[in-house]
Amino acid sequence: MTEPIAPDAPFLRTLAPLLRGLERRLRAWSEARLVNPVTAVARAEIEGLADDLHRKAGALDVEQPILVVMLMGGTGVGKSTLMNALAGAVIAPASFARPTTRDPVVYFHQSIDPEKLDPALRLCRLVRHDRESLRHKIIVDTPDVDSNDLANREKLVALLPVADVVLYVGSQEKYHDQLGWELFKGQRQRRAFAFVLNKWDRCVQVGPSGVRPDDDLLKDLKAEGFNNPKLFRTTAQPWVDAAAAGKAKPDDLPAGEQFAELKDWIELGLTRLEIEAVKARGVGQLLDQLARAVQAIRPPDLTAEATTVREAWTAALDEESRVAADVLVAALDPRSVEIEGHFNVRGQDRFRGLMAGYLKLLTLRYSWRAFRPTLASPASPADADLDLAGFAAGCARLAGERVLDRRATALVNRLLVEANAREFPLAILNDRTAAAAARPGWDDRYTRAVVESLTEVERELTNPTGAKSLPRAIVRLIANYLPEAVLVGSIFVLLWRFFVEELTPSLFHVVMPFFVTLATLVLLHVLVSFVFPLRWPAIREQFRRVLNGRLRTEYERTFLPIPNELAELILAERKTVDLLSEEVAQAVEWLAARESAAHVGELYGR
Amino acid sequence: MNDPKTNRQTLAQLVADYDWLEAHCRKQPELARHAGHLRLAAALARNIVGGSLEARPDAPLHIAVVGGAGSGKSTVANFLVGSNAAEANPQAGYTRHPIAFTFAPAASWPSYLGFLGPLRKLTESRPSNLDEDVYQVRPVKAATPDDPLADDVVWDCPDMTTWASTGYVSRLIEVAALADVIVYVASDERYNDEVPTQFLQLLVKAGKAVIVVLTKMREADAPALTEHFRKEVLAKIHDDGTIPPIPVVAIPNLPQAERDDPAKTGAKWRVQLVNQLLVLCPTAKDARARTLGNAVRYLETSSDSLLEVARKDLIQLEGWKAAVSQGQRTFEERYVREYLVGEPFRRFDQSRRQLMEQLAPTGPAEYVGKGFAYLRLPFSLAWDFVAGMGRRTDMPNLPEGTVLANAWTGWMEALQAECLRRADSGGLWKESVHAFESGLKQQGLDRFAAFARQFEQTEGDELEQAGRKLTESLAANPSMLGLLRYGKLAVDIAAVAVVVWWTWVPSWYHVLLLPVAAAASHLFAELVIRWRVELVRVAARRRRESRLREQVAAPLARWLDEVPATGGSSVERLQQVLRRVPENLKALAAAVSPAKTV
Repeated sequence: MTEPIAPDAPFLRTLAPLLRGLERRLRAWSEARLVNPVTAVARAEIEGLADDLHRKAGALDVEQPILVVMLMGGTGVGKSTLMNALAGAVIAPASFARPTTRDPVVYFHQSIDPEKLDPALRLCRLVRHDRESLRHKIIVDTPDVDSNDLANREKLVALLPVADVVLYVGSQEKYHDQLGWELFKGQRQRRAFAFVLNKWDRCVQVGPSGVRPDDDLLKDLKAEGFNNPKLFRTTAQPWVDAAAAGKAKPDDLPAGEQFAELKDWIELGLTRLEIEAVKARGVGQLLDQLARAVQAIRPPDLTAEATTVREAWTAALDEESRVAADVLVAALDPRSVEIEGHFNVRGQDRFRGLMAGYLKLLTLRYSWRAFRPTLASPASPADADLDLAGFAAGCARLAGERVLDRRATALVNRLLVEANAREFPLAILNDRTAAAAARPGWDDRYTRAVVESLTEVERELTNPTGAKSLPRAIVRLIANYLPEAVLVGSIFVLLWRFFVEELTPSLFHVVMPFFVTLATLVLLHVLVSFVFPLRWPAIREQFRRVLNGRLRTEYERTFLPIPNELAELILAERKTVDLLSEEVAQAVEWLAARESAAHVGELYGR
Repeated sequence: MNDPKTNRQTLAQLVADYDWLEAHCRKQPELARHAGHLRLAAALARNIVGGSLEARPDAPLHIAVVGGAGSGKSTVANFLVGSNAAEANPQAGYTRHPIAFTFAPAASWPSYLGFLGPLRKLTESRPSNLDEDVYQVRPVKAATPDDPLADDVVWDCPDMTTWASTGYVSRLIEVAALADVIVYVASDERYNDEVPTQFLQLLVKAGKAVIVVLTKMREADAPALTEHFRKEVLAKIHDDGTIPPIPVVAIPNLPQAERDDPAKTGAKWRVQLVNQLLVLCPTAKDARARTLGNAVRYLETSSDSLLEVARKDLIQLEGWKAAVSQGQRTFEERYVREYLVGEPFRRFDQSRRQLMEQLAPTGPAEYVGKGFAYLRLPFSLAWDFVAGMGRRTDMPNLPEGTVLANAWTGWMEALQAECLRRADSGGLWKESVHAFESGLKQQGLDRFAAFARQFEQTEGDELEQAGRKLTESLAANPSMLGLLRYGKLAVDIAAVAVVVWWTWVPSWYHVLLLPVAAAASHLFAELVIRWRVELVRVAARRRRESRLREQVAAPLARWLDEVPATGGSSVERLQQVLRRVPENLKALAAAVSPAKTV
């Protein structure tokens, strides 16, 4: 007790809002949809801690805090007898039938409103008393930890979070039974522990070998870090009998019996200062545990990994787009006639007059092809763009069915394996990546890529820039005007000879201008097909390159952002957790100053 | 069958398998409850079945005193022995290794290999809190020479309830397995505790003869407590709620004097206990036969729980196999769709041409045939042009090798991704993740390369043979070939003659009509041959597909199926154990059966 704190300083009460704030943060975390996977165990721990914070905040938010002392131990060790002895009357049933206590008994002062009790306690058997010395203490008798009735253990585990001080009751037989000991080890970081070795009379007849049970227990406790535990050696039964007989003290107690000390400690030793210190320590332990739990759920920083994964994925996607482009071009190969036809039909637009008519006549044969059932195109041949989209869709569907659909599944697997090799957890990536690959409409995307690539290639070919554009302009000019000029000229020559030279024209003469025009058209056509190379084999390679680029962009747009996006989301989650961690640390610091205020150290161990 | 050496080996293997299964269970928290059963099974096999194989004499019978810490085992042992031989003291869990009290001279102590398994016999007397895998034998003097238990051994055993007992409960199980009679001690505090009750249940299930001793109650409470114990505890030991015929003896909290001299002052309690023992074991022979029979029965019926132990692993193995066969389906499908569907098998076009050439007449008629060929030329050209406009070439394939390699990589990566997805559930999946990281992929590539090479090597021959068979089948049948050749020629001549006769007085349209007439039979023959070749092509495709399955997909799938169960993995061992345990049990049961029936 270094620096006494004023008894009316309600510092515990000021702790309540802090704890509530922490609880809210925890709840918000556990309700949020998290990208970084959290194990069910960790999530349950956080939720349990939120419950504990809620409970603690409620318990602290009162005028004077109330200490809950809980008796815990195996069946038959005499918890109920001890309770009766403490109460000085039979308030808890005790008998040889095991397990005896099935419903916990709560022993509390009449000034406490039962409605204000913790919900877990409200369901128990409530026994009120009017003893001033126990005004701010609640004593709880619990069911056993070790009988065949497993429901009892569940009840006890449900009650334990309410306890501030656990009175670990053992008997000569059960003082270090495994089930109770495990429970003690599980709880020792969270609450204060005092120990009772009941049925002390059975322990004192030491034989030629072995150690006395209390020494044995002290040794076990020392191994657990309790160097100076509060241990009371009691025989509760004679005290109950004495109380029933109206005597203050039983007559023949074994040497070293300490029930009176236990009673004194509970009634007088646990003053307000002690109670507040226990409460504060309890909060401190909870916060320590919280700090550990929060550290455990801190998501990793995956930014660096995301970058390396991105690089690895770029390579994989590049390869994939190359194969996809190959496959799509191969799917287009059988359709070269359609493509050429399409280009030629579009090519008519460049020309006017006779040349355009001539070309239209020639490309009529493509139109009837478009009607054929093998071309799964609903498009009308009149609308060239629709036709192109239609047959591109057909090709994409064929390629998808034959190759690309299965490759998409394989691609996802490859990406996941690559990411895993670069230490990016697969559990995080799996759903997003699979969703990206499974998103419907890859057929449409392939179709669009094919159409756009064809259009682009066509545009490049027909609207060249630089040196190539001049001969083309000349050719176009010639093709647009020469046939008409030839026709008009030759007719003029014919008329000239008819009228001026008075030649009587034969059929040959009359047909001659048309033949000459036709020959011009044919020659020009040859010229045009040299200057405007719209043969499939000629543009195939260029088309493949363009398509490859488009597909790569499409793949990269779909997959590449995923690792970084996820890494950023996780980083944000990490920041949230860090913030939480910081707040817990602040609360711990705030508490630490007050913790050494009272002598409660021995209730905790190391 | 009854060769002692073989039997010994079988037994050793059986015990080793049980031990391995036990260790396997301990590694998985959800299986830990089976570990005790397996330990008991191993101990039963070692001590009871092994004892029978080694012709261990029926006497002495072994009586094991078991119970929770501090419940009074040593006190009860003293009552059995009839003197204050066991160290009784208030420290709970003082006794840390089994101690045998024997009236007989030490020479008759069983000494065959495997007796009490891992426990070593202490040569000198040590305190009973020595915490090592040992047992000790303490000779005691019988209270009277004709003591009814003079031929028996009484074992004072460690407890199973303190936190330290996890370290020594195996010693308790070892002795409990050896025992012909179990004396289960429960105090008024302990009698409804979970852990001791489970132990009692295990022993009852294993067919041990059990006597329950209730201790420490007030003498007045004894009858009521006994009744209560029967109703509350014994009734729950059997699943069907029947109370097993287990005698219950009560020894209340005794004064020090009675405890110190069990043979005289405390004789009342001793007699009661010894009587129950004598009722259970009228003769040593019967008692031992019962012990053996029940042990063998328990071992045989416990195979179900073996499967229970292995279930998770087997489910995982099933999952792995399902993933492998899913991968195989995808692999084959990819090969068919990406390659086989579009593969034209050009070799057959050559066969088709050869077949048409075979139909051309030979000898002097060759010129006639050629004449007809020229005659039909205009029609043929026109026909080819029209047909060519309508024909659609198929989408060309990626090369076969590439398709196969891609499909295989896809298969492996699908498996690897599946392992990574399921790695959290541990076991096989986790082991496989490590396998993938440590070179499984490269192994797979090597294996695939070998299979694929073999597959591709036979492929050319196969096509060549199929193509040649097509042409040779006709060539091998000269009369048929002749009939077809000259029949076709005759039809040509007849067709031209009919046309000329029908439309006599030659006109310009004969130029059109005659080529048509001359081409009719040729066209028909071409159609038939095309159809025939197409059939062969479809068959070749199908054969290629099934050959891929046989030569590549199936061997790879078999290899992958075995991957988790090789290289000393736990699944491999588990499979072995599951196979061997029932077999070995059956053999051993047969070996000890004469002893059982006599």
